[in-house]
Amino acid sequence: MSITPVHYIAVPLAAAFLIPILSKFHKETARIIPGLVFSYFLVISFVLMRQVSNTGIISETIAGWRAPWGINLVFGYFSGFFATLMSVIGFLTWLYSYRFKLVDSKPAMSYYILLMMLVTGSIGIVITGDIFNMFVFLEIVAISAFSLTSFYPGRDGAEAAFKYLLIASFSSFLILLAVLLLYTQTGTLNIAELSTKVHLIPQSLKLTILVMFVVGLGIESELFPLNGWAPDAYSQAPAPVGAVFAGVVVKGGIYATMRVMFTMFDINEMGQILLILGLITTIIAEVAAIKQTQVKRMLAYSSIGQMGVVMMAIGIGTEDAVFAALFMMFNHAIIKGLLFFSTGFLLHNSLTKTIAEMKGVAKKFPVLSFMFALGSFAIVGLPPFSGFWSKLYFLMAAADAKLFSMIALVLAVSIVEIVYYFRVVGVMYYHQPDESLPTKQPGLNAYFVMGFLAALIIGVGVYPDLITNFLHAAAYELTHKTEYVQTVLTQFVR
Amino acid sequence: MKRFLVIFLMLALGFYLIQALHFVPFGANRMGAPADKKTVAAFYLNETVPQTAVANVVTAIVVNYRGFDTLGEVTVLFLATTGLASILYKRRDEEETERVSKPSSTILQTGAKVLFPLVVILGVYVFVHGHLTPGGGFQGGAIIATGFLLMLIAYQKYHLSHSMLTWVESLAGILFVSIGLWGLITGGTFLENSWFPKGTLNSLISGGAIPIIYIAVGFKVAAELTGVLDILLSTKDDKSASNIQQ
Repeated sequence: MSITPVHYIAVPLAAAFLIPILSKFHKETARIIPGLVFSYFLVISFVLMRQVSNTGIISETIAGWRAPWGINLVFGYFSGFFATLMSVIGFLTWLYSYRFKLVDSKPAMSYYILLMMLVTGSIGIVITGDIFNMFVFLEIVAISAFSLTSFYPGRDGAEAAFKYLLIASFSSFLILLAVLLLYTQTGTLNIAELSTKVHLIPQSLKLTILVMFVVGLGIESELFPLNGWAPDAYSQAPAPVGAVFAGVVVKGGIYATMRVMFTMFDINEMGQILLILGLITTIIAEVAAIKQTQVKRMLAYSSIGQMGVVMMAIGIGTEDAVFAALFMMFNHAIIKGLLFFSTGFLLHNSLTKTIAEMKGVAKKFPVLSFMFALGSFAIVGLPPFSGFWSKLYFLMAAADAKLFSMIALVLAVSIVEIVYYFRVVGVMYYHQPDESLPTKQPGLNAYFVMGFLAALIIGVGVYPDLITNFLHAAAYELTHKTEYVQTVLTQFVR
Repeated sequence: MKRFLVIFLMLALGFYLIQALHFVPFGANRMGAPADKKTVAAFYLNETVPQTAVANVVTAIVVNYRGFDTLGEVTVLFLATTGLASILYKRRDEEETERVSKPSSTILQTGAKVLFPLVVILGVYVFVHGHLTPGGGFQGGAIIATGFLLMLIAYQKYHLSHSMLTWVESLAGILFVSIGLWGLITGGTFLENSWFPKGTLNSLISGGAIPIIYIAVGFKVAAELTGVLDILLSTKDDKSASNIQQ
């Protein structure tokens, strides 16, 4: 039995159904099994990426029915980039939260199952070749995300989760309606076949469908008027879950947007709108971030701002811009991961998690504070770190598209970013510590995770070629959809 | 002002929805004529009976052609139950066995006792015959859950074994995934159905793995919905929640 993309879905599902039984006999299995599954994800990613580089895009049939009768999974460089990134972040989050919660309670078991399914659902979005199947995986992600948001009963998690639930249900409704309208007009749900048939749809209806997709997926990818759920969800969820939201869930939403805009439709039809929406998102989010007093809310707004820049890059729509967008998403995933992971222990016993409580933590946690400072420097785009390169590539892509006013705005927003991140770093290093707060020292596993991410940030910063070839291939594959469509269509029966 | 803005937005949304649906005439055949073999719908209508020996085409689509989606939907329900159990979880020592419902009358209690087995039998019938008649695992499971709801309402002390529900739920899920993985192990594709004997059309044993999967789904849905009802019914106003802290 060789490794195929469906292992990403089948193995974690089997594990998720097994855990409730096995943990009756041995409690530890509830957290060991997800770890094994995440390790297996890394193996699948490695094997499949090698296969893609040798033989091109993989298209896998499910249930013995070739597309369009059945569902197919497609794995190329572009999907592979996301799947690998999600696998890595998922594994690191598991390792970080290995000692996070005691396993002797039922909620702890749920935590590991939900975390595993959150990552699995996101990978499902990325590897499926069927638009309705993508909707199903969006649902899996959404349901796990609600539960994880309201995980701690003592916080305001229920309110945040309910807000998220209402907005995400609206998003599901719009996406489902868009899928339904597509089906009535083309008679197929296969993304590759849809891309050859969308020109048959009447123009005004096509526009309606596109707007539904932009709004529906914009909620998942934190676009401006639709991101009200994000700051609440990020700040109420456990810290490692915040890292997964930033590194995995949002990436799933952005992937879906890119797949719909580039492969199914033509980016030129919506590019301008995405550009403007991204711009507004960035400006509003970064300005809002300055006013935050809670660290996690600040990180959430910063996350929204970054996704706005990514959306702008998608709106530009050239291969270079897509490359920059992918690079930014990679950086955002690892840097935000580091920031959330370090915050998790810096403010471990605080309920409010305000910036004021960070006073002088550098004296109590020198290593953790260094990690947070490193993440802050990296995310604003200072040179020796990886964040610098992605911002530079984005500005270059914008300059090629002659969008100079946008460059000015993004640079101005970067200054705002520097202000609020450096303010926190200043509070950490140049204030007297408050001794009254109880502290918790992170374990070896947490140090390893943060050390790995920090090494990755510096490594890619010093030597970006580590991943740029890979990202170039992914960007090329997305902007030249012929190979994707051909690979899938040649498998068709008709 | 705000109200006008909301009304305006609603009108705009409504206008676009109506305009979109205008392209889908009511009652028109948008699935393509059965003679036109190129459409997906025509393929399902023409080929399901000869190729899978399943009398109910909808079941063939749900469990076989698009079985991967169904596995996803089953997972959604599983996650909803898991999430709900963790959110409304109470520690053993503070757990109260009392229910929120009020004591019921003798009429309801006697009626429930008579109806309960019938409801369960109807549910089992619906999911066992999912490949022959309308209905299937989801519907049958929901019917069985209503039977348990009746018992939970009628008898305040009605006890459900959570351990039993977990076993049923997990084993049914594992069965579904195992059938899928069996296809992979034997060299085919995930959820492949052609490895099982097809059987004769319209008989109870027909359609290969389809009835097995639907029975598993039926058990799973019944266990999950019953579990959800039990959790919700035994949740009181949360006075104790705020003292569980991370």
